[in-house]
Amino acid sequence: MSYTRHMRHGEYKMPGGKLVVADLDVRDDLIASVQISGDFFLEPDSALADIDRALLDAPCTASTEDLAARISAALDPRVQMFGISAQAVAVAVRRAIDGEGTP
Amino acid sequence: MSRTNWRDHDWQLIHGEPRSPALHMALDEVLVEEVAAGRRAPTLRIWEWASSAVVIGRFQSLRNEVDAANAAAHGIDVVRRISGGGAMFIEPGNTITYSLYTPLSMVEGLSFEQAYAQMDAWVIAALLELGIMAWYQPLNDITSHIGKIAGAAQARRGNAVLHHVTMAYDIDAQKMLQVLRIGREKLADKGTQSAAKRVDPLRSQTGLPREAIIAHMIETFRHRHGLSDDTLREDEVARAQTLAASKFANPKWTAELA
Repeated sequence: MSYTRHMRHGEYKMPGGKLVVADLDVRDDLIASVQISGDFFLEPDSALADIDRALLDAPCTASTEDLAARISAALDPRVQMFGISAQAVAVAVRRAIDGEGTP
Repeated sequence: MSRTNWRDHDWQLIHGEPRSPALHMALDEVLVEEVAAGRRAPTLRIWEWASSAVVIGRFQSLRNEVDAANAAAHGIDVVRRISGGGAMFIEPGNTITYSLYTPLSMVEGLSFEQAYAQMDAWVIAALLELGIMAWYQPLNDITSHIGKIAGAAQARRGNAVLHHVTMAYDIDAQKMLQVLRIGREKLADKGTQSAAKRVDPLRSQTGLPREAIIAHMIETFRHRHGLSDDTLREDEVARAQTLAASKFANPKWTAELA
């Protein structure tokens, strides 16, 4: 559980899917903390922690494709996603880094 | 493993007394585990609510979804469920909520999208019989020409699937907008516009009391799939009470995604 309020916020509604939200902090041009959330479905639910871990320490210069590849590589092949994809998470993260989704 | 059909199973009905939001969350986890372990036959559970609640999805951010101050001011419990999907605003008597606890074999070989539609086909039929032209809208909604009626969510546990659905009977949209943080683009998804005072697709389209709609849904299920009346076992209730206190009423779980 984290009580810190993340400084950067990005959202992406996956076409034909659900909303993916990225809340994160950047330090020294790296993702220093991150929380992915949204109204998507993931089996098993522990896969969300794997996604967050995969994004940690990613460079802010990482492209959407780089971020998606990091996530895909970290997930057990048996993980099932519904309304969410590695690509959709990457877009939300990229938007958060770029400050496009800041409320 | 090959796919099983509704009639391959001995479906049980549980429609009991009103329960607290945390206990409902716990019952879903306990009962899907009971079906997974083979200690309980596949079951349809109709929920009755003892108090108002905001129920957020497994992967939603508490802060992003809920106005905690307004929820507290209205005396509304905020709980996190074990399935994904979106936040719901519940007041006793204003929604119809049910859970199906089914063997995984029922959705064997189906896509997620097909699995959702299959588990609610009986509800679409029941609504048609009540005069509501309803259909399944992927990924996880039941909708009609006047807007969204219900949202579904599934979670898998071992060899069982929890499929639960909340239907809007007569929701106070003003209060919902005070406690849920809903962006303007999401309003349509909640079956409302900011000007609407009530979201009442079931009440307005049937003119029937909530209890009559539930009774018809149960009869539709019984006719199509077979259904025996059942009750919760004492050990199931005891386990759920323990789990409600340790997990679902615990801020550590509710705020796991801050």
